[in-house]
Amino acid sequence: MAEINPRRAFLKGMLVSLSLLPATASARQRYSTPLTTNRLRPPGAVSEEHFVGNCIRCGRCVEVCPYRCIRPLDLRAGVNAGTPMIDVEQIPCYLCMKCVDVCPTGALRKVSQEQTRMGVAVVDIYSCVSWQEKILCRTCYSVCPFMDRAIKLEQFKPVIDERFCTGCGLCTHACPISQEAGSGKAINIEPIYARTFALPETEVSARTGDI
Amino acid sequence: MFRFNRYPWSFWRLVIQTASFALLVITPLLNFYLEFDFIQGWYQSISIGDLWFVSPLEGLERILVTRDLYGPLVVGMVLPILVALLLGRVFCGWICPINYLSELSDRLRHSVTGKKEIRDRWILPRWLLWWALVGELLVTMVVGAPVFVFLSPPGLVGRELMRVVFFHTIAVEALVVVAVLLMNLLTRRFYCRYFCPLGGLLSLLARRRHLQVVINPTSCKHCGRCDAACPLALEPQNGGGEYSQCLNCGACVDACPQESLTFLWGGKTKQ
Repeated sequence: MAEINPRRAFLKGMLVSLSLLPATASARQRYSTPLTTNRLRPPGAVSEEHFVGNCIRCGRCVEVCPYRCIRPLDLRAGVNAGTPMIDVEQIPCYLCMKCVDVCPTGALRKVSQEQTRMGVAVVDIYSCVSWQEKILCRTCYSVCPFMDRAIKLEQFKPVIDERFCTGCGLCTHACPISQEAGSGKAINIEPIYARTFALPETEVSARTGDI
Repeated sequence: MFRFNRYPWSFWRLVIQTASFALLVITPLLNFYLEFDFIQGWYQSISIGDLWFVSPLEGLERILVTRDLYGPLVVGMVLPILVALLLGRVFCGWICPINYLSELSDRLRHSVTGKKEIRDRWILPRWLLWWALVGELLVTMVVGAPVFVFLSPPGLVGRELMRVVFFHTIAVEALVVVAVLLMNLLTRRFYCRYFCPLGGLLSLLARRRHLQVVINPTSCKHCGRCDAACPLALEPQNGGGEYSQCLNCGACVDACPQESLTFLWGGKTKQ
C-alpha cells in the first residue's frame, strides 16, 4: 500500500468537511433583494436567500425567453449582478416555461404553469376605476390566463384569488391606470413568495377541487 | 490527398478558436432573430440540444455556496472535467475567447510594429495561479455568492455579446475584458498566467493529464525559439511542457526547427 502523506490527507479531509458544512450555515439572507413590486424572478425560482448562490449567471434563461421579458441585472445590483429579473410593467411573463427547462443549476426548478408563484396580484382599490365605480373596466379580468379563477369579477369589481394567481403580471401590463406618484398600476404584483417558496396550504385542496 | 500534418498546430488552433468565437456571436443572433434555441449559451453554460455543459469552476462555486448537489449541474460538469483530466488546459489554449482575442492582438501588434519578440516585463512566481484559485473559492464562500461567475472574463465576453444582440447595450463589466487584454502589454497572458481561477482549476485537474508536449533532449539544439514562443513562458526546452499550467497550445511545437518537441499521449507530469 502506498504511504499516506499526512499533509495531503489533512488537506483532503479539510476540503471534504468544508463542503459538507450544514446547509443552514449559508441559509441566511445577507443581501438586500432586488425584488420589489412588479420586479420578479422568473418562474420556478428558488427562494431569494438561495437564489444568489444557485444562479451561475449563465444567462440561458435570458436567451431562451421568446418574449424577452427576462433581463439580466448589471453591476449596479451588486451581488445580484447577472441574475435574471422580470419587470412585468415592461413585458410580463407569458408562462411559456422555457426558462425553467434550460436552467442548468437548479436556480429555476421545474414547475407547472398552475403551480408557478412569482408573486401575487394586488388590486389598489383606490386607483382602480372599477372599484371607484367610475367606468366598467375589466381589462385585468380579460387578460388573466386563469380567468374566473385567479381574477374574478364580484359586482363588476376585480378580486384576486391568491390560490390561483401565478403572479405572471399580464394584468399589470394590461392595466390602463398608471399611478401618478412613481411607478405601478392599479393592479400590481407583489413577490410575496420570494422568501419562502412554498405553495400555500390551501393550494393542495384548491387544485383538487375540494376547498 | 489531404494531409493533416501539412498545417502547423497554430493553423488548427486558429480554426478552432475562430469557430469557438463565432459560436459566441452566432448563438445570440440565432436565438434573438430566429428563436432557434437548439444551441444556447456561452462558456459558462452551453447547451447543444440536450447535451449541456457547465463550466467546472462555476459549477464548483455553486456547489460550495449552496452545499447542495443538483443532478443536471453535476452531469453538465462531467465532460469539461474529463477533457481537462485527459487533455489539460485545452479550453484555455484552443477555445477561450480571451486567449483568442489576446492572440489576435498579438498578431495585430506584430503586423503594426513588426517586432516579433514580445518582452515579458513582469515575471511572477507560477504558483500564484494556485492562490488565485484558492483565494477565489474562499472569497466565494465568505461572500456566500459565486463571484467568478459574474466577472469571469471568458464568460463575460459571451455575456456582453449576448447583451449587444439582445438589448443593444453593453454593460460596465465589459471593462474587465478590456483590462485583461491590456494586461497583455505588461506580460503576455498576464491574467491567464497568474490570476485566472478557471485556469487554476483546469491546471489542477491537468496534473496527471495524458496529452503533453515532450522534448527529445538528444535532437534539441537549445536554440531557445520554443521558450520565446511559449505564451506562458514555461521554457519548453527545459521540459516546461510537463508543467500542469501548459495550455497544450502547440506554439512551441511549431517553433521548433529540429522537431524535437512533439505532442505525446500518455506522458508523465512533473509535480
